[in-house]
Amino acid sequence: MAVGLCRCCCRALLARPAGALRALRGLAAGPETHFGFQTVTEEERREKIYQVFESVAKKYDVMNDSMTLGIHRVWKDILMHKMNPSPGTLLLDVAGGTGDIAFRFINYVRSVWERQLQRKLKNHQNLSWQEIFESYQKDKFNSLGNSQVVVCDINREMLKVGKQKAQHLGYTEGLSWVLGNAEELPFDDDAFDAYTIAFGIRNVTRIDLALQEAYRVLKPGGRFLCLEFSHVSNPLLSRLYDLYSFQVIPVLGEVIAGDWKSYQYLVESIRRFPPQEELKAMIEDAGFFKVDYENLNFGIVAIHSGFKL
Amino acid sequence: VRCQHYLPLRALQASTVLRRVSDEHKKEPFTSSTQQHFDSPPAGHQPEQEPQGSRSSYTGQGGQESEDYEGEEQLQHRILTAALEFVPEHGWTAEAIAEGAKTLGLSVAAAGMFHSDGSELILHFVSECNAKLSELLENERKLVQLGEAEKKPIDAFLRDAVEARLRMLIPYIEKWPQALSVLLLPRNIPSSLNLLTSMIDDILHYAGDQSTDFNWYTRRAVLTGIYNTTELVMMQDSSPDFEDTWRFLENRVADAMTMSNTATQVQSTGEAVVQGLMGAAVTVSNAETSRAVR
Repeated sequence: MAVGLCRCCCRALLARPAGALRALRGLAAGPETHFGFQTVTEEERREKIYQVFESVAKKYDVMNDSMTLGIHRVWKDILMHKMNPSPGTLLLDVAGGTGDIAFRFINYVRSVWERQLQRKLKNHQNLSWQEIFESYQKDKFNSLGNSQVVVCDINREMLKVGKQKAQHLGYTEGLSWVLGNAEELPFDDDAFDAYTIAFGIRNVTRIDLALQEAYRVLKPGGRFLCLEFSHVSNPLLSRLYDLYSFQVIPVLGEVIAGDWKSYQYLVESIRRFPPQEELKAMIEDAGFFKVDYENLNFGIVAIHSGFKL
Repeated sequence: VRCQHYLPLRALQASTVLRRVSDEHKKEPFTSSTQQHFDSPPAGHQPEQEPQGSRSSYTGQGGQESEDYEGEEQLQHRILTAALEFVPEHGWTAEAIAEGAKTLGLSVAAAGMFHSDGSELILHFVSECNAKLSELLENERKLVQLGEAEKKPIDAFLRDAVEARLRMLIPYIEKWPQALSVLLLPRNIPSSLNLLTSMIDDILHYAGDQSTDFNWYTRRAVLTGIYNTTELVMMQDSSPDFEDTWRFLENRVADAMTMSNTATQVQSTGEAVVQGLMGAAVTVSNAETSRAVR
């Protein structure tokens, strides 16, 4: 009996230092998390994701079009309509790398502003020529009604592609590009009217931190909008979707972008992302009110919305 | 378990606007999270409940939770009330709501809480008008009960009630046709119909209607018809202080009174005719039987 006890003690004594070593190593590199279907530490995950986007940056838009058969444009348009921004809105687009949301915002706000101007001019039919001339002058430098969008991304390559696209498409005003981490935004409190993150929150390592930062930088009454791949509940559709995701998309990635692994990561990360209700609860925990979500395409994509009240 | 863990977190987190706005307007501010407060919501306001799964507890630690939830509804009502003053300029649209939110110190994005066609703004306005009308009628009834005012005859009462209610539209009369069309959208019909019927019900209740037969329906249908047609006439009336509209209203109410009188007359005439026919039939049958016997 004493021998048995002794052996137990020995085993316990031996086990503890090894366990402690492992714990120490873990502390240095951060708690465990997932990268696609692999298990990695948080630091490793951040690095890996940075590398993924660094390598896909140039072909990001082409791949989006081929993977989703162009439907991602419709999703982003729906997001913008849901936001329904009025002129004078200050938008922060996080993980907005190549600028899709930012450009749509600028287009939307410009058309709303022009319509408002037309209506104002129609109501003021009895202006003198001088006054009309002055009103045109004033609004020449204000074609967006003072709306602005700040595009923030953690990845330099994605921002570079975004800036090039902006120049190419002719977007000059109301746009700024900032390098920043969604978990630790380089902005003041209560700064923005709206915060969007389209297909980006999946790649954030600590989603709760990102949501807290979103809450912090929004003004009271500000809106949080998140467009992200989500879970399909319909079983038949889910099977087809899985088939397409795991068989077709990585192959497309290899053929078009020469990068099988990045797109394997993409489809795995979609499967690992929390489903709609869970994300809704996380958003509520960050302090947002009136949190709701809208499924697009049966849950392939979902738009979550919350208000800072 | 999850609720237990997260509720204190949400309770402690500053819902700054809700508290700030409530402190300005409520006499009793939101108390600290340790106290359990189940104060009734402010005067006469019924929050429309939407089921919220993860914030389901209104008991236990939910004292603070339920106050936050009511604060959200209150805030929405406050935004809509503030938005009303921008309606003459922007119409019943999300723009007016955005301007209203700005005056409360909120971001313009708060207008995203409401539908983009301004339905909630219009429904809010209609329900506010109905509430004001009820208050008016209640005060009138109190005055009559205290003997300080004469009890009006029914047609004058109906006429005054409908006029008072329609006068509330005057500040927004230019954009009201737009509002009417939005209220007729299929999505809004249940709510707008509900508001209309409850208003008509209110008026007739204060008019002293205690019918328990089919008259209950006919009276309400008639008054609804009068109200709707007068509203439409008001839309295109350009006479000073809408005189033409009130004259139209007077005529319709008079018609309705005549119709009800005529209805009773027709009924009694009908009864008399039926009795006469029965008597004639009995006489004829008697005559036949007596002839047959003979």
